[in-house]
Amino acid sequence: MSEIILEATYETLFMVIGSTFFAVVLGFIPAIVLTLTAPEGLRPNKVVYQILDVIVNVFRSFPFVILMVLVIPLTRAIAGKAIGTTAALVPLTISAIPFVARVLESSLRGVDPGLIEAAKSFGASDFQILRRVYLKEALPSILSGITLTMISIIGYSAMGGALGAGGLGDVAIRYGYQSYKMPYLIVTSIILIIIVQVIQSIGNYFYKKLS
Amino acid sequence: MIDVQHLSKNFDDLEVIKDVSFHINQGDIFGIIGQSGAGKSTLLRCLNGLEPYQKGTVIVDGHDVGNLSKKELNEVRKEMGMIFQSFNLLNRLNVYDNVALPLQFWKQKKNSPENKAKIEHLLDLVGLTDKAKSYPRELSGGQQQRVAIARALVLDPKILLCDEATSALDPMITKDILSLLLKINEEMGITIVVVTHQMEVVKQICNKVAFLKNGKILSVGKPEELFVAPNDEIQKFVGDDVEFLPKEGTNIKLFFTDTNSSSHTITELARALNIDFDICQGKLENFRAGIMGSLIINVKDEDKERVFHYLTEKEVLWEEI
Repeated sequence: MSEIILEATYETLFMVIGSTFFAVVLGFIPAIVLTLTAPEGLRPNKVVYQILDVIVNVFRSFPFVILMVLVIPLTRAIAGKAIGTTAALVPLTISAIPFVARVLESSLRGVDPGLIEAAKSFGASDFQILRRVYLKEALPSILSGITLTMISIIGYSAMGGALGAGGLGDVAIRYGYQSYKMPYLIVTSIILIIIVQVIQSIGNYFYKKLS
Repeated sequence: MIDVQHLSKNFDDLEVIKDVSFHINQGDIFGIIGQSGAGKSTLLRCLNGLEPYQKGTVIVDGHDVGNLSKKELNEVRKEMGMIFQSFNLLNRLNVYDNVALPLQFWKQKKNSPENKAKIEHLLDLVGLTDKAKSYPRELSGGQQQRVAIARALVLDPKILLCDEATSALDPMITKDILSLLLKINEEMGITIVVVTHQMEVVKQICNKVAFLKNGKILSVGKPEELFVAPNDEIQKFVGDDVEFLPKEGTNIKLFFTDTNSSSHTITELARALNIDFDICQGKLENFRAGIMGSLIINVKDEDKERVFHYLTEKEVLWEEI
């Protein structure tokens, strides 16, 4: 049992950390575009903002299980195969990107507009304002957003079993639910709770330290 | 230094600045006073291009603010420091780094020996040498505004724009900040534009003031003249007490805009004309230019022509009320 659980824990962490990383990197781009083109942004642009806004909403409303199936061709193209832990990174990342985009957008737009105005009054360029004011001031809030993303990806990764990705959720379903092995259900649940707690605590620690 | 001609600005259909013109000279402390919603903060933001405008011209140090590329506009903004009601310091930067931020916008190293000396000098000027490593949340409002002032001066601007800079501060701290601004004006020769709804601010530091109401300028002039001899609109803004005056005889209001004239005029008047009169109301106020005031006297109707003649001869400002 311990071997199965240990391996599943490793798979879950791999999926969560891997897809969070890619989702944050890729989600930053729409987040920044949304912030810049918002009505009160540095480069207000109604058309760009609304198109991106709709795209983000559409992708956010897809149930993960369906998205997973829909992106199989893409998964194959990127990961070389459609099943397995590595392959699961693709749908997990894609489903998390719009989430990250929204969370980071709200972090960035939460920066006091007075600070942006002050920076402008000293002759800062838009790029400098983005780097030295938006990102600098929003960092603690961005980190909490990343924590939130990780925790919600843990939930999605439980469905990874459907793609043969393994993970704690898969063990819980196959051993615990389908084979009536209660200990598996209990142990995997406890481990998931611990992972969530640890991630949240680390997130809180950095939030406090940085803000 | 700053010349505004026929400036108009609207937000969609709402006209917030209406055909405003004024001129600010090098070395002035120019006040723009008015109630909230008068458009004064918007007007200030037109000066450094933070707000675009539709009509008129704003010339700052020879540059037409409305007709500049983004890059040229930034160059002009470099010449104009700005401080705000809510201080607008970055919470995640310490005092030193906040002051250094504008330098970094201009691609300068914050820790170069030259810049270090400059920032330390500015912190010394605003009296916060020992707070260089503190973060804004550890400072009081007055201290935060001092940091903001140091930050606004770090690019060696010619002009300092103050947007309700003392409105969030209590009266004692306001006084300190005002003397600091006065010092900056006198010692560094920086022209200051102050937007405020506090009359005390204008009285204490401004040498020129514009009254703004509903986006229009009611009058521009020396504060001592406008406050001591206000027209009806300014009177309304200043909200002077209702005057209870005798119904008999003639009431004459004398204005003293020059301290030398104030003290003896009344006694000399009595002696020269050999008449008696009552003093009904008097008020003295402290302005940057000195103590100014007004006095209302009540004279007998048969004496009034002689009094008018005497006052005019002595060049005392007066009106019959």
